[in-house]
Amino acid sequence: MTLAILLIVAAALSLVGIVTAAIAHALQVSSEDNLAGQIRPLDIEAFRNLADPSEEAYLRRFLPAAEFRKVRRARLHALAAYVQVAGKNAALLVRMGQRALASSDEATAEAARQLVNLALLMRRNAAIVLLRILIARAWPATGSAAVPILDGYNRLSGAAMLLGRLQNPAATLRILLM
Amino acid sequence: MFQPHSFLWHYLWVAPNLLLAVLAIILWKRGLHKKLRGFFLYAWFQAVQCAVLFPMDHMPSISGSTYAFVYLISELLESVIVFVLVADLFAGLFDAYPALAHVGKVMLRWAGGLLFIVAVVVGAFAPLENEVWVLGAIKILQQGMYIVVSGLVLLLFASAAYFGLVWEHRIFGIALGLGISACVHLATWGLEANEVLTERATLLYMANMATTHVVVLMWFYYLLVPRPALTETRGTPTDDQLAVWNRELERLLNLRQR
Repeated sequence: MTLAILLIVAAALSLVGIVTAAIAHALQVSSEDNLAGQIRPLDIEAFRNLADPSEEAYLRRFLPAAEFRKVRRARLHALAAYVQVAGKNAALLVRMGQRALASSDEATAEAARQLVNLALLMRRNAAIVLLRILIARAWPATGSAAVPILDGYNRLSGAAMLLGRLQNPAATLRILLM
Repeated sequence: MFQPHSFLWHYLWVAPNLLLAVLAIILWKRGLHKKLRGFFLYAWFQAVQCAVLFPMDHMPSISGSTYAFVYLISELLESVIVFVLVADLFAGLFDAYPALAHVGKVMLRWAGGLLFIVAVVVGAFAPLENEVWVLGAIKILQQGMYIVVSGLVLLLFASAAYFGLVWEHRIFGIALGLGISACVHLATWGLEANEVLTERATLLYMANMATTHVVVLMWFYYLLVPRPALTETRGTPTDDQLAVWNRELERLLNLRQR
């Protein structure tokens, strides 16, 4: 009886999950949201500082072990917030890139393909890094968690700028003149 | 009306499978069977399974145990074919994105393996008290198959939502239908396999058949009604947004120069 109830609950939750995801997808495809406006800018310098292994090594050397663990947990908490924002930005860039994939201009379509691929890698890496941060928060003595994601974010920004330039040359001019 | 071998019972058994055969023929005529191989195979299998089991159910010369044994064999085959269909859906979604093609394969392999273990463990706890052991085995097999299928389809939708992937609408329709069907079947076969509501077994079977019917009609819609091609949306940024992008770009350039 208990097993049957568990299976019914699992089936109901799965059904709700599937239908919710399907409705969200249908709404997402039909909506004309201003995606660029939803992107949250990241303070790359602070992000780099938090992910820098040498910063961590410095703290490890000069702080007592208990103090270091406390500081590291706080830094990992902040780093997780940055990685989450980077991951959400990547998801928005996937959607922006996908909208541009249907472009009749070959260069724009190719730039969109590259942006989508980089953004998807970024989204995947964000999930892996968040998992590593979770482990590192449980065991603060382990190694640094988020170095590779920073380079990925830089590459992603470059790809997004390229697509923006191809789609809207006038705007690019303003970017370069500023 | 809600009795075995009533008109409604016969209709719900035959109509969805007949419709699936018609759908498979239309897919073949339109050349879509090459693109949707897993679904084409699944549709034909369901139609052939019905064409074999339905007459057997009505032949007085076929004993109950013979029918149950043939049903068990057909369910074993169906499990393999449904897994091929799910693998096809994973490929249909992830292979469109080179960055994720490998991720899709790894997820299917690991999640499939894990769900299989869960299905075996859950099946091991189910009572097998039937005098005809084949009936118990059928229920446990169905329960296990739908644990794996509903879990994998849920994973497919969850990962598409997480990555923000755009589905090809036919793949989306097949996955949605399969997911709904698998969840309803999981609930009913879960009750059946664990000997709960045995006095209402006919209603549970009819709920399964009715769900299949609705899902087949959904598949007709998704597979045959054309969708307009995607058009490019520029989403021109406002001056404020450009200012933010500029600031961030400058910050990046400055960092690189340091």
